[in-house]
Amino acid sequence: MTMAKPKYELILLKNMLQPGYTGSLADYERAGGYQALRKILGKVAPAEVTAMVTKSGLRGRGGAGFPAGIKWGFLPKDYQGPKYLCCNADESEPGTFKDRQLMERDPHQVLEGIAIACYAIGAETAYIYIRGEFVLGAKILEKAIAEARAAGYLGKNVLGAGVTIDVWVHRGAGAYICGEETALLESLEGKRGLPRVKPPFPATAGLYGKPTVINNVETLANLPHIITRGPEWFASIGSPPKSTGMRIFCVSGHVKRPGNYEVPMGITCRDLIFEHAGGMRSDKPLKAIIPGGASASFFTPEHLDVKLDFESVAQAGSMLGSGGVTVMEEGTSMVWAALRLMEFFHHESCGKCSPCREGSSWLVQTLRRIVNKRGRMQDLETLTDLCQNIAGRTVCAFGDAEVAPILSTLKYWRHEYEELIRTAEANGSSELLMPAAARH
Amino acid sequence: MVETVKLTIDGHHITVPKGTLVIEAARQVGVMVPHFCYHPKLKPDANCRMCLVEIEKMPKLQTACSTPAAEGMVVRTATTVVNEAHKSVLEFILANHPLDCPVCDQGGRCDLQDFSHEYTPTTSRFIEVKRVFPKEYFSPLIETQMNRCVQCLRCVRYCDEVMDVKALAPSGRGTMTEIKHFTHHELDCEFCGGCVQICPVGAITSRLSMYEFRPWMLKRADTVCTYCGDGCQITIQTKENQLIEVMSAQGAGRNNGDLCARGFFGYHVSTHPDRLQHPLIRRNGELVQATWEDALEWVAETAIRLKLAHGPNAFGGLIGARCTNEDLYLFQKFMRLVVGTNNIDSSARYGQINGVRALRRVQGTSRWTVTFDDIVSAEALLLVGTNVTETNPITGLKVKEAVKKRQATLLTIEALEPAVGTISNIANLAAHHFSVQPDGFKPAVLGLIKAVVEENLVSQPLAQKAPGYVQAVSEAVRRLSWQAIERATGSSSQSFIDATRSFTRTARAVILVGQGVLRAPDGSGLTATLLDLLLLTGHHGLPGCGVAPLAEENNDQGAVEMGAALEYLPGPSDANDQAARARLAQAWKEELPKGPGKSLMEMIEGARTGSLKAMFIVGENPAGSLPPSAGTMEALQSLDLLVCQELFLTETARLAHVVLPACSYAEKDGTFTNTEGHVQSVRHAIELIGESRPDWEILSALSVLMGYPLEYGDAKEIFKEIRSLIPGYGLLGPAPTPPRPDQAVVESYLKTGYSSGLAERYTLGERRAASGERKDFSLTLLVTQTLFHSGKFSTRAKGLLQVQAEGAFSLNPADGTRLGLAEGDRVRVSNDLGEMTTTVKLQDRVPVGLALFPEHFDQEARRLLRVSTDPATQVPYYKSASVKVEKAK
Repeated sequence: MTMAKPKYELILLKNMLQPGYTGSLADYERAGGYQALRKILGKVAPAEVTAMVTKSGLRGRGGAGFPAGIKWGFLPKDYQGPKYLCCNADESEPGTFKDRQLMERDPHQVLEGIAIACYAIGAETAYIYIRGEFVLGAKILEKAIAEARAAGYLGKNVLGAGVTIDVWVHRGAGAYICGEETALLESLEGKRGLPRVKPPFPATAGLYGKPTVINNVETLANLPHIITRGPEWFASIGSPPKSTGMRIFCVSGHVKRPGNYEVPMGITCRDLIFEHAGGMRSDKPLKAIIPGGASASFFTPEHLDVKLDFESVAQAGSMLGSGGVTVMEEGTSMVWAALRLMEFFHHESCGKCSPCREGSSWLVQTLRRIVNKRGRMQDLETLTDLCQNIAGRTVCAFGDAEVAPILSTLKYWRHEYEELIRTAEANGSSELLMPAAARH
Repeated sequence: MVETVKLTIDGHHITVPKGTLVIEAARQVGVMVPHFCYHPKLKPDANCRMCLVEIEKMPKLQTACSTPAAEGMVVRTATTVVNEAHKSVLEFILANHPLDCPVCDQGGRCDLQDFSHEYTPTTSRFIEVKRVFPKEYFSPLIETQMNRCVQCLRCVRYCDEVMDVKALAPSGRGTMTEIKHFTHHELDCEFCGGCVQICPVGAITSRLSMYEFRPWMLKRADTVCTYCGDGCQITIQTKENQLIEVMSAQGAGRNNGDLCARGFFGYHVSTHPDRLQHPLIRRNGELVQATWEDALEWVAETAIRLKLAHGPNAFGGLIGARCTNEDLYLFQKFMRLVVGTNNIDSSARYGQINGVRALRRVQGTSRWTVTFDDIVSAEALLLVGTNVTETNPITGLKVKEAVKKRQATLLTIEALEPAVGTISNIANLAAHHFSVQPDGFKPAVLGLIKAVVEENLVSQPLAQKAPGYVQAVSEAVRRLSWQAIERATGSSSQSFIDATRSFTRTARAVILVGQGVLRAPDGSGLTATLLDLLLLTGHHGLPGCGVAPLAEENNDQGAVEMGAALEYLPGPSDANDQAARARLAQAWKEELPKGPGKSLMEMIEGARTGSLKAMFIVGENPAGSLPPSAGTMEALQSLDLLVCQELFLTETARLAHVVLPACSYAEKDGTFTNTEGHVQSVRHAIELIGESRPDWEILSALSVLMGYPLEYGDAKEIFKEIRSLIPGYGLLGPAPTPPRPDQAVVESYLKTGYSSGLAERYTLGERRAASGERKDFSLTLLVTQTLFHSGKFSTRAKGLLQVQAEGAFSLNPADGTRLGLAEGDRVRVSNDLGEMTTTVKLQDRVPVGLALFPEHFDQEARRLLRVSTDPATQVPYYKSASVKVEKAK
């Protein structure tokens, strides 16, 4: 664990940073765990819990940042049949690794959050859809669920309040797209993980066609604290009113101390990188920042003072996304970086809809050609066109995500593309139409 | 009242029912939104993104295929933004698409080709490497060329949502997504051809017509498939009098454009090289080619001579129910007037008659009181003795739609088990299944009725209206013990009670009766008992409810309605209905022959004993259909005159004195009446093969030579005459209007009619002591129909032979173990009548104690069968036998 002494009072990472904290039920209870569940179960009406969460201003920590309480409120009010909660633990956004730590190091905090959410929305069954590679996390969760069940925090008649909350862990099979909520549902149902056409939204027809809420691990982990300490307390942290609470940023790349940092929403990039993550790893200056996972547009050093909250980042042309902050130093080829990201997206494009399926392969091949010094100037126009033709025209948000790295590098570092192309033109290799792919 | 919404599409105002998709609303105002993945039969998947349109107040473009029309919506489909979107999506789709239109069978009717011409420039900006899939062999009938695939998944969705087969799936990810089947062996599916029909591009095509045509070279004819009683509308496409392919347009006919393997791939029969091209006359024991004049004159002279010598009742007539209504009508008129006998029968005698007799007896109709649409909207469906997918595949689709899309409760009583990994097994969808031996249908039905009575589920209005009937039936079933029913069916009393409860609580219930009932002893009685069930539950007479016996042959229903049976006159009216006889005599200006007439089996008996001297057989092959134990061949050989009108030299035609070449359905015009009583037009697709002639024309020519001319200019004239006799016959609308039960008949049935035969209908009967049953005959052999063959010609269809070319002896793996048999073993199957050697196939869906053999390959198996004849309906039964099985040496 590469945490420096925290500057702020930690919420989510607090327990696990205590010396000797193992994440067992006993440890969690000693640290005040499951008090929130005790506080509400059978005592506070579910609708009131939802109201509290809405009031806290808690927004989704998975990427889209949708207000959690409002999402719960979309469930049909007088619906009688089964409803489901899905905990999205598919954390696959490149540069993001916070949920993994939350699940591995303090699983009961997540489970308590799940139990609270289940109670609030009236779901008797929750599924944790966990990324397939998180074998350890899945094992830890399974063990924690067994502990919680034995202690009466989960299962039938939770804490004697007559409420049933069953939690099941389901391991994914290795597809990025299954982090998309509707693809997650498909995969959970045993089908091929492809996003669904919305509407209907999961709130009305989700898992097995029943009303379903899908929340990210970090979102759910915040719930016990909101209940214990009150929504007003939570809403006072960060940059209210729109971005409340703490946020775990996963800092990676060319910094001295990569790792997870829990900080109030709204601190600046500069603070996060230079104060918390220890600054750049060498004497090379900072060149680029991805502020919210691979799907977010790049920032330049000019954006260092942008506040890391939903609105400010969006205003500056990117998104807070999953909280994965990747830092790159001077000397990094931005065309290469864009290609590297595009290769990821090409590999992960599920193939359901035409613009993304065909576009990702087209983009990656064109980028590869440019990086391999076989580009042509008109390729830049084609790249821009293709990106614009993908964005907003796909079934899910993947299309918007995959074009962000290209469009933003083209915007800020177009000269790097042009330089590669000029070299190619000088060599006469632009004319070599031997396909780039053939050399790979 | 349907809730509607008003919207505007490209300036057109339109009101549509709530829930209508924008793309459909647009179609209604004549605006075509380009699309690939959308299909009206399938749930929207919105994956091709081609149908993006602008909708006011929505920030992004929306897919018209997945957006329901809403009140006040303003849609634009032809703005610059939308056009740009269409162009860009097409550019993406074309990026990896090969430029192989010149060798693609879809060329000329390809959505991608059409839209490309409309939206994209002729040169592409794509200069990268195109994705190439290695070529893989897919199946003998279906060709895939995955480089052309646009990944719209219509085929996958169709195979799952409509067919419930799930043979196809996308495999791989992103651009490497290709459509495959699940395993490494070649495609194993129902071969309905749906994927070929629904593919918008040339990714999935038929191998039967590969590289043979361009769409604009084809001549089309909309006609009706002849493979089963469903009566699917098909479009036969031909080039220079050659059959190229069959398709069925989306929404066409009672099949709604869906087909089965037989309909889609089984069309090569009409142009088979073995087709008879000239008349044949037997000279010196050999059949030799003759002219029409010689053949017809010889027949007429011989017939006149025999009639003078032995009287008209020495003649018999048999016609296949695959002929048109016009052929059937003229045939019975020929027999009744020109020859002057009531010795008339058709292949409807093999089973259809049983169903019709029961319907007429209980409710006074000769047809279903329901339609396919009622099956789709039924809340409960009871299938007795039919694996409907295999016999009537399209009726099967209606059942699947009801169960899968509309959550109907399906009850099945069948000699098959639900089994994992088995396609074409309707029991797999059943909520309540009773797996019985072939003689267990009746006990299972009685179990349901007993549950109705004992659980007090008898309709109250009926109990008040017909207390005597209810009491008699109640007493009859109370006399049966649950133990005996459980023994006879292998199902618990509780399962009958559960099934009955879920059946009775529905408002719309349909019972489908299959060949397992209709072609087995007392098929008519059991059908009547099923009507009892519907009467007792109170469903009988309600809209959308009824008992529906499934016709096996395409015009079984027409054969009965045209009066091609000794007991029926056209209508059908009973042959001894004096008023009907008078009406007909007046129309025909001739007295009808008197006397009871002979049925199929009686005619064969007559031929053997010498009382029958001559037979006219049209499109029917009793020597091939009936088992050798019936002695058909010997009987027919002893006739003084046997005239066959046939397409091929069948077993029966080989025995004939004169064989007259008839034309197939693909060469003639007329009408067929399908199983639900819908009369549909048959139109010729190709010119007559050789010197063949339509059956009615041959009969008409003979009638002239025999001195009693029945002359018609064309089939339409005959149809007009049919209509004059049966008012309103064949309105040729899009759907049939089913008759209502005749209340007078129902009341008379409830008063006294039920009692005759009640005791026999309401006994369990002995476990069938098939004559000759012995202890060492440990298996019951059941000869059944399979999905890939039906009718008399399918074994001449090269497409179908590629899927199934031989029979196998299917039995349960447990029986296999018991008898020491493994898959693929050669076995000797025998009983006291004979023996055969065949190959073993182990199938979970065959119940223990039973063995199935497909009837289309049963020439040898037939040696093991014995014929019994129903004393009441004269239906011959010969579908099962007790056999002994041992490994072949």
